[in-house]
Amino acid sequence: MIVTAIQKDVWLLLRDRGALISLFVLPIIFIVTFGSMFRFGGDSGKPRPIPIWHAPGDARGEAIARVLAATEGFTAVAVDSADEARRRVAASSNDAALVVPAAGPVELVIDLAEPVQVRGPIQGALTGAVMRAMAPAGLAKLPPFIEAKSPPGVAKPLDHISSFQVTVPGNAVLFGFFIALTTAMSFVTERRIGTWRRLLAAPVPRWKALVATLVPYYVVGVAQLTFLFGIGALGFGMQVAGSIVALVVLSLSVVLCAVSLGLLFAAVATSEKQLGGIGSVVLLVMGLVGGCMFPRIVMPAFMRSLGHVVPQSWALDGYYDVLVRQGTQVADIAPSIGALLGFAAVFAGLGLWRFRFER
Amino acid sequence: MTVALSLRGLGKDYGARTAVTAIDLDVLGGECLGLLGPNGAGKTTTISMACGVVTPSRGSVTIGGVSLANQPRVAKAKLGLVPQDLAVYEELTAIQNLRYFGALYDLTGARLAARIDWVLGVVGLRDRATEPVKQYSGGMKRRLNLAAGLVHEPELIILDEPTVGVDPQSRNHIFETVKQLGKNGMTIVYTSHYMEEVEALCDRVAIVDAGAIVALGTVSDLVAQHAGKAIELELAGTPEAIEAADRAAADHGSVARDGRRLRIVPTAGLAPLVAAIEATGATIAKIESRQANLETAFLALTGRGLRDVA
Repeated sequence: MIVTAIQKDVWLLLRDRGALISLFVLPIIFIVTFGSMFRFGGDSGKPRPIPIWHAPGDARGEAIARVLAATEGFTAVAVDSADEARRRVAASSNDAALVVPAAGPVELVIDLAEPVQVRGPIQGALTGAVMRAMAPAGLAKLPPFIEAKSPPGVAKPLDHISSFQVTVPGNAVLFGFFIALTTAMSFVTERRIGTWRRLLAAPVPRWKALVATLVPYYVVGVAQLTFLFGIGALGFGMQVAGSIVALVVLSLSVVLCAVSLGLLFAAVATSEKQLGGIGSVVLLVMGLVGGCMFPRIVMPAFMRSLGHVVPQSWALDGYYDVLVRQGTQVADIAPSIGALLGFAAVFAGLGLWRFRFER
Repeated sequence: MTVALSLRGLGKDYGARTAVTAIDLDVLGGECLGLLGPNGAGKTTTISMACGVVTPSRGSVTIGGVSLANQPRVAKAKLGLVPQDLAVYEELTAIQNLRYFGALYDLTGARLAARIDWVLGVVGLRDRATEPVKQYSGGMKRRLNLAAGLVHEPELIILDEPTVGVDPQSRNHIFETVKQLGKNGMTIVYTSHYMEEVEALCDRVAIVDAGAIVALGTVSDLVAQHAGKAIELELAGTPEAIEAADRAAADHGSVARDGRRLRIVPTAGLAPLVAAIEATGATIAKIESRQANLETAFLALTGRGLRDVA
């Protein structure tokens, strides 16, 4: 009977253009859009071009250009004049530029109105490059002053982290949780059209009627995440640095959590209109707070902590580890999986407590 | 004769409100029982409790000798429900709908396919079976609604307003189908707003009002015992005067109103009724006497017309 219920709901879903678009097409549009917006890290292996101007033959300028060219993530682009370097930053053609006069301080051209989270890393890296270039010759022979290392127990990341390593899971989680809305909508619609009465009148235990309505959406949710990660890997070069088993276990936990949330929505919602309005806003806010649209790392500390009150942030922490950190196993993302299962238990518990078969 | 459906002291409360007080009713195997009552009388709640859709506050339901409370799966398998709503999936085809509803009764494979083919033939939808239901007319949807309740070949079928809102051709088709099912020995519980359907189809009629059965018997018994001679008045005057006349008439008998027409079963003589109406400012344009029938029996028992809103 549950197999037939799955078949029936898949038939219905395949004929529901709106649901198909929101579950399968919109996430792809968002992945492409956000992937293009967040070109951080070694995006496609392309270093960030930095226009640099110095007077012809100026030794200091040439040294800075050499160091800049050797700095990971940057490349020096010589321009004809200081004004040209400034113009390029003003026109947002480049994020920053260096103007090296014959004497006096080097001018770092950068839009000071940029948020510090965006401006800071560029400013810091360019300042370091300039300081290395201007250091006395003997200093370069000394051992490095500072070396970046992951803390013990944190696996080594991929060499090149494309923006799609973040935007694919971000949008998969954001839209993956929309299965909660689809699940809840199916309950409300079944009640409205009277098929729920038929189900209750049939020789089917009530727990089975509930499971038969939830399981199809669990299956659809798993299919949705499989599709999105598949497209991410095949279409956008997303890599899985950790174990595939960990990715699968995490994804199954995410869908369980989303479907449980759907049961809670179904228990409290009275109409499709109410669900479509309030439910969508709730899911979007949860996704926003959880870091689905903007990585939590760029958020203030308070917002980063607040993120942990929604399951989306735990899901994303887990996905980041599996997709970016090499050798990540199920045990490494146990906190994420545990939190997702905990949220699922709370949502399902509240949903079952509030759910009325005979409304 | 066996009892197909037995309701004993069946009642339902929603908080402080009692929807059904206590219903005692036996539906005999192979009979067609009409369930009549004004809107809000408790018919749908009674049907819902009988089907296991709503849990009763008190009393018991037995279907084909099996207790619904103790053996719900066995009891429910004997019963088919045709709800008042068009409880089918409009995006799916008739076959896809029936495959799902049949599976709820553990029908699978060749047996399910045979049952679907049979029921599509019964309701006359075999040639449209692979079209999405949303392309059907209202009457065809009603016929599929009936088919979904029949697909598992129940011993007892409960039809809640099966012909409401359909074209005369489909209504006639549904009516004839139900009649044929009755002839084939299926037990039927039939609710309808169409008195003539109930009169033509049902062996017995139970009249429900205010959450209780107020009369039960054959149509001829009910008419003989309860139907007084009715009169029909056509009134003239302002809408306010006609409203007032309706209220005044209610003090002198059971009244059903349809616009400017009042159908009344007077409790006393005609003279005080006419005087009371004329005192309101309305005038009687036309007066006719009506034969006693199920409708006048219903009116006398419930004080309301069948289509009145409670």
